Amino acid sequence: MGENGAGKSTLIKILAGVVTPDHVEIRLQDRPVNIHNPQDAFTLGLRFIHQELNVVSQLSVAENIFVSLPYPRRAGFLVDWPRLHADATQVLAQLGIHHIDPRQPIARLSPGDQMLVKIASAFVGADQSNASIYVMDEPTAALTGDETARLFHVISELKAKGCAVLYVTHRMEEVFQICDTVTVMRDGRVVETRPIQGTTPNDLIRLMTGRQLEQTYPARLAPIGQAVVLDVRDLSTRRIGGIRFQLRAGEILGVAGLTGAGCSELLRALIGAERCLTYDVLLDDHLLPPLSPARAWEAGFAYVPEERRAQGLMLSRTIRDNITLPHLQRLSRGGVFLNRAAERGASSAVSQSVQLRATGTEQITRQLSGGNQQKVLFARAMMQTPRVLLLDEPTRGVDVGAKFDIYSLIRNFSARGAAILLASSDLNELLGLCDRILVMRKRRQAALVEAAGLSAHDLLTLCYEAPA
Amino acid sequence: MRRAVFFLTFLSAVVLALMGSVVVAQDAPVVAVVTPYLAQPGTQSLVEGFQAAAAEKGWAVNVIDTAGDVAAVISRIEDVVNQGVDAIVINVDPVQVAAGLQVAAAAGIPVFGMDAGADPLLVTNVTSNGYAMAAETATYVVDRIGGAGGVVMFVFDPYPPVQKRGIIADAIFANNPDIQIIDRITPDVTDGGIADSRAKMEAVLAANPEPGSIKAVWAAWDQPALGALQAIEAAGRQNEGIVIVGIDANPQALDAIAAGGNFEASVAQDFAGIGAATADAVARYLAGETINQRVIYIPTTLVTAANVADFLGSK
Amino acid sequence: MTVQARLSRWLRRSGTLIGFLIVIVYFTLNIPNTFLTLPNWLNISQQVSMLAVTAFTMTIVMVMGDFDLSVGSMASLSGIVAALFFRDSQPVLVGVIVALAAGLVGGLLNGLLVSYIGITPFVATLGTLTIFSGAAFLLSGGKTIFGRDIPADFSGFARGGIPIGTFNERALLFPNLTIVALIVFVIVWVVLEQTAFGRRLYAIGGNVEAARLGGVRVRFLRLIAFMLTGLGAALAGLLYASRVASANPTQGAGLMLDAIAAVFLGMTMSEEGEPHVVGTLLGVTILGVLDNGLTQMRVDSYVREVLIGAIIIGAVTSSSLSRRGH
Repeated sequence: MGENGAGKSTLIKILAGVVTPDHVEIRLQDRPVNIHNPQDAFTLGLRFIHQELNVVSQLSVAENIFVSLPYPRRAGFLVDWPRLHADATQVLAQLGIHHIDPRQPIARLSPGDQMLVKIASAFVGADQSNASIYVMDEPTAALTGDETARLFHVISELKAKGCAVLYVTHRMEEVFQICDTVTVMRDGRVVETRPIQGTTPNDLIRLMTGRQLEQTYPARLAPIGQAVVLDVRDLSTRRIGGIRFQLRAGEILGVAGLTGAGCSELLRALIGAERCLTYDVLLDDHLLPPLSPARAWEAGFAYVPEERRAQGLMLSRTIRDNITLPHLQRLSRGGVFLNRAAERGASSAVSQSVQLRATGTEQITRQLSGGNQQKVLFARAMMQTPRVLLLDEPTRGVDVGAKFDIYSLIRNFSARGAAILLASSDLNELLGLCDRILVMRKRRQAALVEAAGLSAHDLLTLCYEAPA
Repeated sequence: MRRAVFFLTFLSAVVLALMGSVVVAQDAPVVAVVTPYLAQPGTQSLVEGFQAAAAEKGWAVNVIDTAGDVAAVISRIEDVVNQGVDAIVINVDPVQVAAGLQVAAAAGIPVFGMDAGADPLLVTNVTSNGYAMAAETATYVVDRIGGAGGVVMFVFDPYPPVQKRGIIADAIFANNPDIQIIDRITPDVTDGGIADSRAKMEAVLAANPEPGSIKAVWAAWDQPALGALQAIEAAGRQNEGIVIVGIDANPQALDAIAAGGNFEASVAQDFAGIGAATADAVARYLAGETINQRVIYIPTTLVTAANVADFLGSK
Repeated sequence: MTVQARLSRWLRRSGTLIGFLIVIVYFTLNIPNTFLTLPNWLNISQQVSMLAVTAFTMTIVMVMGDFDLSVGSMASLSGIVAALFFRDSQPVLVGVIVALAAGLVGGLLNGLLVSYIGITPFVATLGTLTIFSGAAFLLSGGKTIFGRDIPADFSGFARGGIPIGTFNERALLFPNLTIVALIVFVIVWVVLEQTAFGRRLYAIGGNVEAARLGGVRVRFLRLIAFMLTGLGAALAGLLYASRVASANPTQGAGLMLDAIAAVFLGMTMSEEGEPHVVGTLLGVTILGVLDNGLTQMRVDSYVREVLIGAIIIGAVTSSSLSRRGH
């Protein structure tokens, strides 16, 4: 464990042979080994499961499992498809995965199932006698609760087969659920390695941050206003429907649901990224025309998307370019000619208020850690105080310290009268921050409940189908 | 650092390649030949003829092909003017490169046309005589058909070098009162001219079914003549003694003449001779002589079954 | 940062520029009397002006990660369109305006296909390349329009310039073509580097989905960008027609590959490998200087082609090698 920028990713890259270290001594079963390139790592039995799903989305599940190996052949050159599928089924079964059909295209699977396929594909390459080592970098970042449970089941299968697992995560509860020992890193160094037995979450937080966290969720700074800011009277797209809710100034509405339940789609529909079939939405009592993202930003919506690299940031551009993009019209002279001084001033001000750690607003966004990249998106949303703030998984892949910063930011937005929609797969986060929670089930709005007095167990029950 | 090393290595390779390809002649006259058409066989013969003559004179010749790009011809003329060559030879319509010719004129560097077209900005243009070529084939037809009978003409007046061939043939046929012009056809040349000429000729054959009603086909260049030949053979009228002539003596035409059918004659331009004569004109000018002829004509040769073997051998 | 790291970072960005300077030194040493003279450089600037206009405006679409293969045939088409109006004895200005309008319409077609119908730029502009080329052949009947059909006012433009004194007793002109290219350069530079429009194009190039969700009207901007590239191609076609005092349905064909090559050469100069019009200017200059210098050194014209191709590959390779090492 460790905060963003603590050096976890670099460590993994060294193990994978992607980064050449200045000095290294790696011992495997008491023998010193050299890892110069990914091939060396593979030969030594190291397997890597990354947070981003590097699946070949055009291929089937079975093809993805065997993608790094020669396919079984018939008549020398024809692929023996039935055998490939049978082999794939067998591999999946070995890991206790029975619900995935190896013949279907991998793109149809949920992110959680894709992750399981990825693990299976790492598993087939391994020599079973040579106990292999699995390195997993935030594998549950994109997974829902039940998918995580399934993953943990697979990890225990691997453990039973004698494999070792190096598990990198930001989620405190996971460490206590599946780990035997924990190593905490900070500022590129190992702070401590200790057995889980006898360690408390507070110990880990102290080791990671060097400070004691008073409380995980900051308290509300101002009461909810009276005025209804956003009134969604009816909203449906080709994929979701039956959405009806009202949101008051400063109110935080959580959006909960299993993966694929339509939480992200709801936020995307509101920012105008999806075409709406019915759209009856009032902002500050004015009926809105159907919006495109451009018009939504102009109307006072702000959006922090789910996938910050794919949907949020232009990684090759500067922090300033990323922050000011939706606000260029206002920051430019006559709305046409760039005013870099104004951009710099405004973006450096919001960078400070989101506590962005960077060399300056002219730094290339690619060079920032995940948490800081997320803060760039918050800075973008913050630049013009939004009327409605749409947050999709804002703390995914973010370390504990940065998480707290982001929670405080959300509270700040709320205190300034923004109506906030917060979609998250972290139920505690929803319960800790939100006033009410909208539950999506099977792509429809299933419930709208007060958060006060609700337990994580209650919320999870709502997310699952009501028992017949 | 890797980048720097790579780039420097690469650069030295470029420099070495340059030095290898440059032949520096110190005080011999330098002549630049600029053409966009070096890929065409006729132009190649022109340039080879020029180079051979220039080599005897000990000149340094810089042949520049712009691969069809006429604006680049202007650019290259400007470059060699800047370089201060002694003379420039072009093989392109002088009107299209007038911008370059003006630059050369301003710098006092003489420009010669090699089968280019006449232009006041050229010292002279060396080429074949289009009038003479047409006269050769027209008189051949008149002689073969005894000055009497129906003649089909293929012409192309929109293109000046071909248009002048047509009017000469018109005059010679008009001078023989017993010759009737059955049709004066302008074929569609967008597909090269053979196919449409064949179609037009088939229509003429259908309109004149009587054997002997068509005595000859005179074409201003070889493609229509080849089309007419195909039409006559397809109609099964190759034994009526219809005489076909073309101009330019392209390889297909030479084959047809050698085959001994209706296609009896064409005219070969002496491209190598034009090249050599251009070199002579340059030499005379550089020696201080004033060249009064705006155009220098190089004799052409009538190709018939009698001498076609010489030309086939040279191709 | 170590000294070596600083040096290698500087070399990575400036490698192409350093190479260019070495080439200039080499030509200066080998062609001492004429290469590094004002007339020669004015000469080069005039020769590359058509390519420059095409490449500058090509940069606009390449900023978005797109490209336009149809610029060459659009240049041919615009020359033919203008020449047809001249042949009809229309005023020069009318022919010029109609030809530029043809460029806008052609760019509009490209933009509609790419951004609204969603065809990849390669396929869409390959299609329009053929359409524009076919249209040029149809309108001209496959023939070159030249001679008396081209008014002297029009062909004179490419030969004229602003007198700026004398050199070796010869009057020196600052060529009109160069002036046009410089104006286009300044306009494209302002559009790309100094306007919100340009910034949004770079955002699209950086991450099209992020740009869209960040409030960029991606489809509309792409459409406009393709129209500007089409307009630039049409202008280049007019400059070409003016320079050769004629219009031919194939004469612009060579511009497309050279323009893309020039932009690529320029991209090697930017840290993140983005196209910038200043880099494109350097790319165009490299191509022009090589042509000019090698001609003066009497290097065989075919060797020249090979060298220019090798230099493009060399520059791009070294820049991507260094990025990978990075």
